[in-house]
Amino acid sequence: MDLTGGVGARSGGGGPCREATGLESLHLGDEFRQLVTLPPENAGGFTALLELPPTQAVELLHFTDSSSSQAAVTGIGVDIAPPLHSFGTLAFPSNSVLMERAARFSVIATEQQNGNVSGETTTSSVPSNSSANLDRVKTEPAETDSSQRLVSDQAVENQSPCPSQNNRSGKRKEFEKKVKSSTKKNKSSEETEKLPYVHVRARRGQATDSHSLAERARREKINARMKLLQELVPGCDKIQGTALVLDEIINHVQSLQRQVEMLSMRLAAVNPRIDFNLDTILASENGSLMDGSFNGTAMQLAWPHQAIEAEHSYHHRQLQPPPPQQWPFDGLNQPAWGREEDQDHGNDHNNLMAVSENLMVGPAHLHPNQVKMEL
Amino acid sequence: MQPTSSMKEEFLKKWQTGLQIFRPSIDNTNVTERKKAIKLSADVAMASLRKGTTCWSRALIQKTAAEDNFLVRQMLSGIKAETLINKKLPKKTVCHRKIVRRSKKILLRRSRSASEEAAAKAKKLVKRRTQGLRSVVPGGEFMSNDVLLIQETLDYIVSLQTQVNVMRSIVDAAEAGIER
Repeated sequence: MDLTGGVGARSGGGGPCREATGLESLHLGDEFRQLVTLPPENAGGFTALLELPPTQAVELLHFTDSSSSQAAVTGIGVDIAPPLHSFGTLAFPSNSVLMERAARFSVIATEQQNGNVSGETTTSSVPSNSSANLDRVKTEPAETDSSQRLVSDQAVENQSPCPSQNNRSGKRKEFEKKVKSSTKKNKSSEETEKLPYVHVRARRGQATDSHSLAERARREKINARMKLLQELVPGCDKIQGTALVLDEIINHVQSLQRQVEMLSMRLAAVNPRIDFNLDTILASENGSLMDGSFNGTAMQLAWPHQAIEAEHSYHHRQLQPPPPQQWPFDGLNQPAWGREEDQDHGNDHNNLMAVSENLMVGPAHLHPNQVKMEL
Repeated sequence: MQPTSSMKEEFLKKWQTGLQIFRPSIDNTNVTERKKAIKLSADVAMASLRKGTTCWSRALIQKTAAEDNFLVRQMLSGIKAETLINKKLPKKTVCHRKIVRRSKKILLRRSRSASEEAAAKAKKLVKRRTQGLRSVVPGGEFMSNDVLLIQETLDYIVSLQTQVNVMRSIVDAAEAGIER
């Protein structure tokens, strides 16, 4: 289908007019009645119309052109308007709006007539589509106010007291963008619905070309994220300046990573077999685990082999700590480690006592030669 | 945005399964290898919390998979290990050094006012810090834009805090067990 078919379909909307003036063919009139009952934004109706033989469509086109009294028919947008006006009961969504903006659509229409149009979808969808666009453009500034405040900082809040001017200018800008995109990219109505918007407004004196708008949006996004980060990192919320904040963040991440290293080292050193009974811990100590404090009762279950090891290899103990060059972290942690060892030695008797208890309760799976292997 | 208790529980469960997988191979090893195993399993557990939705977790899984493929595969058996391990990271942006240097020279040639110079210096500082952040966060060099980098850093910090909290409570408990 080409342009003429589309235009024919369009002009079909005014079918009953023609009936009144006296159109001959009966079956055509029936078809028109069907069409009138269909809402015009329904694309299926148009495609149904488009299935008319092209000669008939052209005929109809010529007929309407001659019958309609309006002289200045430059494009489709204006072409639709007269039948609409004469036929009020038709279910077009926003008649007044269309009439109001008919002049603007002449831009689209002329461009399309120049030969940008490729298929029937655009020609048929332009009027309903653009009316939807109009509605959206009208409603948009109201919804954007809330969403924008999330992303941007004071820039928006500064503007919100005087929304009328900005809204209007923004509306016009967006409308122009819309028109451009619809004429250039030839999009169908669904695609324009999905089009993502970047809601940016310029303060007075700020640049308004697309590059600086995008850059500003990006910066605002980054600032919002940075604020979140500042809240997350302790002691970071009082620092001014991006570089210092980033420094602090890097330090924090590195310290966390080092803590993980250190904790896993401690765990490895403390517990020769790491399959301690986390299940029992979880079952009994669920609440206190989250607070970071344990009662030792559950750990006793998980700890028999440690005690046994102490019993077996008391005299080998001095050799067991790893050589100092293996420690990935500096001297701060080493004293703690040494203290721990001392406590181990000192508590040996207690451990021996504990073994007898623990053997009854917990499963002690330890091969005697494992201790030797560890050396 | 503090780590939630549900996250901690999930992490603990995953970590435990990782340790259990490790158990036979760990029994007869020395402290350093045990430590490595513990850290690897903790890392994988942390990364698998995000189920591959974030860039850093994917990078971390890939890194650990390079070290111990078997463990990672076992631990991720629930959530399509193959796709996670082999998932492609976004492409690294590489710029030609010579071209960059030449353009910098051209930029330097222009005489600038004091305020411009200060702004340029601040920009340079921030850029260097951003590079530092990239090198700290796993997979940071793949995050091409700054917004993504900061977002991922946010998520990574929360996960790290979860990991540290859980591990600390476990270690404290373990050492309390020794002292007893």
